[in-house]
Amino acid sequence: MRECEKVLDYFNHELTEKEREEFERHLASCDECREEIEELQLLTEDLPFSTEPVDPPEGMKDRVLGAVFAEKESDSQENNVVSFEERRKEETEPKEPQPKRNNQRWVMRGLAAALTLSLLGNILVLTGGDEEVANEPPAVDSTDIVNQRVQLQGEATDASAIAAMIRQNDKNLLTLQAEQLDQLQGDEVYQVWLLEGDKPYRAGTFVANENGEGAVAYSMDDLPADADWDAVAISKEPDATSETPQGDVILSSSL
Amino acid sequence: MMALATVEKGCVMSNRDLEHYQKMIDGDKESLEAIYDKYEKLLYSFVIKLSSDPSLAEEVLQEVFIKLWTHKAKYDETKGKFSSWIVTITRYTAIDIIRAKKNESVSLEEETDMPEQQGDSVEDLVEWKEKSSEVRKAIDQLSDDQQKIVHLFYFQGCSQSKIAEECDLPLGTVKGRLRLALKHLKKHISTAEGGIRDA
Repeated sequence: MRECEKVLDYFNHELTEKEREEFERHLASCDECREEIEELQLLTEDLPFSTEPVDPPEGMKDRVLGAVFAEKESDSQENNVVSFEERRKEETEPKEPQPKRNNQRWVMRGLAAALTLSLLGNILVLTGGDEEVANEPPAVDSTDIVNQRVQLQGEATDASAIAAMIRQNDKNLLTLQAEQLDQLQGDEVYQVWLLEGDKPYRAGTFVANENGEGAVAYSMDDLPADADWDAVAISKEPDATSETPQGDVILSSSL
Repeated sequence: MMALATVEKGCVMSNRDLEHYQKMIDGDKESLEAIYDKYEKLLYSFVIKLSSDPSLAEEVLQEVFIKLWTHKAKYDETKGKFSSWIVTITRYTAIDIIRAKKNESVSLEEETDMPEQQGDSVEDLVEWKEKSSEVRKAIDQLSDDQQKIVHLFYFQGCSQSKIAEECDLPLGTVKGRLRLALKHLKKHISTAEGGIRDA
């Protein structure tokens, strides 16, 4: 099946994880597919309002909000990165009598929705002076201009990252900050890639600290100056020498 | 005049949503509760329509509000209305949970005891009240085949091949038929609204 024929199945979360990843790579470079997904989103947005009202059961609000607020508290108590594997273990534990979130995996799946939306142009282009820009590491004796800033997202991870392309004294820098990363083992590293079409370019390597945080500032001088970047992605690599992604892409965003 | 008033009301509503959402992001429980109160019934009813299973609807709502509260789903006001966003998140959450259950070979096809649907209730959500009859009328104006394809795709979340099978269409024509049906639908809705909101 050609990638362009997978639009409906992508929209309805019918693709396998591998198919979805492939399609998202395709999506980064296919305007037509992106437009079709956007169009589907737009054309279906009124449909939920055709729903006939049904009264929720007694006490639902207390049960739902109770579970929601408990979630946040337990999250902050954990305070550490919980790896995907550990979460999987939780899934197999016996269910509690109350309707409980029984399957972390499906939260992950749900994030594909967020990713879909992010691919549809959730790109913040800041012109400087914004408070979010102030969070970038301060540079000395220069005025940095953020040309583009994106949030990277992935499905099978709690990790997230912000990437920004910064103009600094006629040089272009790519900065990236990530958090809630899984711990690495042995020589493993996190590798940042810039993609032009399907071609990946190395754009910085970093490791996660014990809090699961990592960051990189990469001079784009060694990259083709006239490149029209389509996407930025992070993969976990066996070591710092990969010329093309060997491991799975964990986070990505179109540019 | 009517149309203008509607548009203004719409703006006020979404601003309030945004205000609640932003406070909620900062950890304000009351704001999350306000969002919950406003959307509880729409989302609950919507999931029941998607799943035909009231017990699942509560689970889905819980998951949706966990995503909001833990910032796993993020709203960006530049991309559209809050109401559209929260129903989209809800639809995907429902689709994923329904699929998970199906994989556990629990059949959801058989309808369980459905709660009584209310006759003409007054919903808290103005947008719902305003749109429901328009959208239902617009759906009624579609041909049976068009209604079926929209239902299978949007409310049942079926795959393209499943839709092809159910509608007896070649796989390659499903997308075109669906888009045509959805465009007709949107046109009917826009006509009913005087085209103002889509401007």
